[in-house]
Amino acid sequence: MTVARAVRRRVLAAALGAGALALGVPPLAGCTPAQSTPPPPDPLEPVAEQAEIDVRLATAVAAAHPDLARSAAALASDRRQHAAALRAELRRVRPVPPATAPSSTTAPASTTAPPPVVAPLDPADARATLAGALQAAQDMASALVAAVPGHRGALLASIAACCASHQALLP
Amino acid sequence: MSAPAPTPHRATVAALQDALATEHAAVWAYGLISAFVPPELTDQVDEAATAHRARRDATERILSDTGVEPVPTEPAYRTPSPVIDLAGALVLAVTAEGDTAAAWRAVIENSGVIENGGVLERHAQPGLRTTALDALVGAAVRASRWRSAAGAPVRTVPFPGAP
Repeated sequence: MTVARAVRRRVLAAALGAGALALGVPPLAGCTPAQSTPPPPDPLEPVAEQAEIDVRLATAVAAAHPDLARSAAALASDRRQHAAALRAELRRVRPVPPATAPSSTTAPASTTAPPPVVAPLDPADARATLAGALQAAQDMASALVAAVPGHRGALLASIAACCASHQALLP
Repeated sequence: MSAPAPTPHRATVAALQDALATEHAAVWAYGLISAFVPPELTDQVDEAATAHRARRDATERILSDTGVEPVPTEPAYRTPSPVIDLAGALVLAVTAEGDTAAAWRAVIENSGVIENGGVLERHAQPGLRTTALDALVGAAVRASRWRSAAGAPVRTVPFPGAP
């Protein structure tokens, strides 16, 4: 687990080092900027952010490594659905006020201009990076399962189970 | 889900009984499946059968420890399609894992609030949800491996156990 986290952090650092830093690279645990007193962050927010990062990572790996393409493309597809479901739940609980929706400072920041993620050049590194991301995603979702309402626990448990499945199938 | 709002612990017990019923079915299914798999898959079948037997026994304990009679196994089960070869056996394996995944996900969904002093308090969250999560993860991983063994084009589902 520690290894997986370390790997993941290295990937993010690599993405930054590669000149991908634009405006708002999603921080590991952070939220988007707020002006005055923000409401306490929803615990699903970082889970959604991680799913969005994983979509970009898996897409980059799929494009760069033919041997990993099938696994990575399937992973990108499933993680995209995770992100969508989590965003839907986040919106359900805390809808964006209609008046401020178009120029909101919250959600769109990280989705409209996502920084590119660079896949590791070495196939073994790319595989390890995917495995690390999947383990981190599984751990993050699992850690919340017992601490949230039932319907959220069920969603997070399914996400953890999906990530575990992908990890088991990595070539 | 859309249950007619029974008291929380009743919903939890019902979900656990459903989960136990799917574990009974899975144990039965792997008995049948084992007759149709080639030698290179027997370990995978044995592992799955062992996992489901352990889960069945643990679930029976949870229920009987709290004074609830665990549902018994059925003498036989109807399979989704005839099992006469490896392909049919793999379909059954994926089905059995999918059924247990759905049942354990429902345990999580229905184990939110445990009445003080109520039945199942000993297994109130986080313990029960963690147990259910482990079961769901195991089922999802096995289902994916069976889809892979079957040569299915899509081997994972985004939300294992979701209706």
